[in-house]
Amino acid sequence: MKKKRIRLTPYLFLAVPLALLIVFTYLPVVSMFGYSVTAWDGLSPTKEFVGGDNYVEIATRPELFGVLKVSLYYIVASAAQTVLALYFAIVLSFDVRFRNLFKGILFFPYLINGVAIGMVFLYFFQPGGTLDTTLRLIGLESLTHQWLGDPDTVNWSLAGTSIWRYLGLNFVLFLGAVQSIPAQVYEAAELDGANRWHQARYIILPGIKPVIGLMVILAVSGSLSVFEIPYIMTGGANGSETFVISAVNMAFKYYKLGLASAMAVVLLLLVLVVTWIQRRVVPEERVDLT
Amino acid sequence: MSRIATVLKYASLVGAAVVMLLPLVVIVIAAAKTNDEYLHSGPFDLPGDWSNVDNYVTAFNDGGMLTGFVNTGIILAFSLVGSVLIGSMAAYALDRFTFRLRGLVIAMFLLATLVPGVTTQVATFQVVNRLGLFNTRWSAIALFLGTDIISIYIFQQFLRGVPRELDEAAAIDGADAFTIYRRVILPLLKPAIATVVIVKGIAIYNEFYIPFLYMPDRDLGVISTSLFRFKGPFGARWEVISAGVVIVIVPTLLAFLALQRWIYNGLTLGATK
Amino acid sequence: MRKAIAAGLLAVGVLATGCSGGDDADSGKVEGEITVLTQRTDIVNTVFQEYKKRFEAKYPDVKVKFEAITDYEGEVRIRMGTKDYGDVLLIPNSVNADQLPAFFEPLGTVDELKDRYRFVRTEQTFDGKVYGLAITGNAQGFVYNKKVWAQAGITAPPKTPEEFLAALKAVKEKTGAIPLYTNYKETWPLGQWEGLRGTITGDPDAVTKLAQDDAPWTAGKEHHVIDSLLFDVVKQGLTEPDPTTTNWEQSKGLLGTGKVATMALGSWSVVQMQAAAPDKADIGYLPFPTQTNGKFHTVVSGDYKNAVNRNSKHKAAARAWVEWFADESNYAVDQGGVPVVLGQQMPATLADLAAADVQYLEFNPAPKGQEGLDGKIGNAAEIALFDGKYRQRIVDAARGAKKESKEDIFADLNKRWKQARATVK
Repeated sequence: MKKKRIRLTPYLFLAVPLALLIVFTYLPVVSMFGYSVTAWDGLSPTKEFVGGDNYVEIATRPELFGVLKVSLYYIVASAAQTVLALYFAIVLSFDVRFRNLFKGILFFPYLINGVAIGMVFLYFFQPGGTLDTTLRLIGLESLTHQWLGDPDTVNWSLAGTSIWRYLGLNFVLFLGAVQSIPAQVYEAAELDGANRWHQARYIILPGIKPVIGLMVILAVSGSLSVFEIPYIMTGGANGSETFVISAVNMAFKYYKLGLASAMAVVLLLLVLVVTWIQRRVVPEERVDLT
Repeated sequence: MSRIATVLKYASLVGAAVVMLLPLVVIVIAAAKTNDEYLHSGPFDLPGDWSNVDNYVTAFNDGGMLTGFVNTGIILAFSLVGSVLIGSMAAYALDRFTFRLRGLVIAMFLLATLVPGVTTQVATFQVVNRLGLFNTRWSAIALFLGTDIISIYIFQQFLRGVPRELDEAAAIDGADAFTIYRRVILPLLKPAIATVVIVKGIAIYNEFYIPFLYMPDRDLGVISTSLFRFKGPFGARWEVISAGVVIVIVPTLLAFLALQRWIYNGLTLGATK
Repeated sequence: MRKAIAAGLLAVGVLATGCSGGDDADSGKVEGEITVLTQRTDIVNTVFQEYKKRFEAKYPDVKVKFEAITDYEGEVRIRMGTKDYGDVLLIPNSVNADQLPAFFEPLGTVDELKDRYRFVRTEQTFDGKVYGLAITGNAQGFVYNKKVWAQAGITAPPKTPEEFLAALKAVKEKTGAIPLYTNYKETWPLGQWEGLRGTITGDPDAVTKLAQDDAPWTAGKEHHVIDSLLFDVVKQGLTEPDPTTTNWEQSKGLLGTGKVATMALGSWSVVQMQAAAPDKADIGYLPFPTQTNGKFHTVVSGDYKNAVNRNSKHKAAARAWVEWFADESNYAVDQGGVPVVLGQQMPATLADLAAADVQYLEFNPAPKGQEGLDGKIGNAAEIALFDGKYRQRIVDAARGAKKESKEDIFADLNKRWKQARATVK
């Protein structure tokens, strides 16, 4: 009697969380697999079975993958963001005037509503907007630009917005990691005559290496599925279309739900591969902050 | 440290602060301008009258901000209570018991974090619809709970640091698992609960896509969707939109100032073991 | 906590049976609360509240509730996967004719309604039945600021694309206004260019022929003419300098006050532009700059159609709204559109077209089995004719943001169209 109870107890506790997880995450994923082998238009009651045709189409249409190039901008931005976050984390983990103020300013954008951010940056980038006016004020009039209109800068502008938004999160995470290194370690190092650079190089970096490795991989998978910022700001026009936007268009503009689902499956597999690599490179580290 | 390094350090900090603040400051400036002022001045030209609140009044009333705040509040309350209960129960089960399917269950939760949400929306939509939740606040609440892996993770990390002796002692006293969970585990999880409330609270307050897709009824607008819908008819009035943006950001700012320490700790706890 | 478990189990239970209760039967009387979906986010709290008052005065047992939707096409299409897509709604353009019976209540046969309402012969009908009544009707062409054009010395409508380009150039040189505004960022205004088909040839079967053509972007054909004009306008720098930051609401003020001279939009836009202009008389309407047999042509067609949801619990009330909206709301006239009820006068907004002796034409019904075929081919080819996305590509190439020539794009469009035509039946 008692033994049976023990076996059952964890399942009782897990019943609700698992039910919710299955209903709202796995059921949709399974039906997505289901849609991906049909030619469904999203509306008609019949879903014509087409087997692997959609996957074949993805494999044989290079332009569908071409949009993944756009992810490269976000990967570069993520790298810059990681370096900046690390720099400010190190600087602010030591004694600095107005430390809390700087910390708060760097972090706060992360908390702001995405729709509000979209509007703030439309105002920022539009011709004669904040950015152009600033450049004029500091005598760099020649740099004023169609930040979203020029195909050479649009993705940098959007990726820059992404840095502005997410820098704070990386920064606070690094800060936590740097501060978790015991003070005695620095004291010992200082006794040995190490300067700040040496401390950063030989104590801090190794101490937070797992976090860095992880952030890089997260940045890669995050960059593959960029959606919100370009969708709100440009709608994917002018060469800023990402893989997810192109899947969404496939579903809701051309009504090829089957093909769009297959693209989503492919994206899911890509993310899984990246995560698998992460597990190989950085074993035994679990950070799932999305 | 050398003087140059110090100067560079502060220069970089001030520079970063300017970059972070500038886009927001101009919005606050624009929000105090009259339409005429806005049309005939640059982003940095100050408004003639800082006490001009007309734009805020317009944005608040015509943007349905009150409805937005009420709905966001209701959804927050239910989702957060649910998240705490569900997350802590799951974490308790996963951390304190060994059972056959434990590995599978953990794998299921981990795998779920990797599914890019936007792409499964069509299928999710069918599920929500079948449950009769479409165009109700429950749709958002259910989805926030159903995809709630972060809070389980945070609780689990925290529980690892709680010595087992405490619940074992209670078990010896004859307490069953539910009593242990309620009397021992839940009170001990208080700091983690604060973290979950903050991390989830931010995410829910800012969520756009779920309420946008599942709650089209005007009376069910939340903060994000109210702001977004408001932009359509007022698209030409940047000074009013700016006021709307400020209205949406202010509660976040107040929460941030009040809860700074908790927020930092919460996020750090969420990310490192 | 126990409640949470119960809720969870309940959720699973409901899902398994797939039913969602609350089946109170339709009484068949004009009563109950109806939800009306609309795309007019801008006037839902003003003009539409007035409609509600008048309608509820006539039918005191009905309560009307509006849901104004920003991204109407996208959102409603997803919602049509549920039963909850309002009691009255505008049929999304993406719904194929053969899908109508599955979603909407027939309002009568074509024969019954064709002597009373415009557009019911060809639009949103299937198998001889009518599924929607237009909210208003539109002519196609360009809305423009007469004052600016007059300042540039142009008073007669251009008769060829070359004359049109020359006119825009004159506007640029003499007035400093932006000659033509594309509204690129919003995408849908570029889709309005698709409405111009038929105006070039003046052929009432233009759409049917489009669906039977393997290469619509070949020199001399309508799509070639329309899209070449768009390309050339942009190429010659006669459009807004940064198309990616355009703003629809703002653009109305720009045209109204003469900072922008022209836009390619249906005639529905005239009233909105007039509202943004200091003097209504500044705003006029131009036909597409081509003539057939010495005459301009414009296509007159229905705007969105009000329809009754097949799953509505208050069909009688919903139907009453659809008919009231067409017969009594006066929406079409107030919005300066072509009236939906036959026999009513053409609106003053189109006086310019009458003055230029523009010929009105309505498309003939498609042959049986080919209803909406052009749309199906367009989607299969990922061109989506009315969406504007493929014209964003043309604008990008023309302004040098994409390294493609006009010929490259047209060849690609022809190729995809032909391939899609072979698969779509």
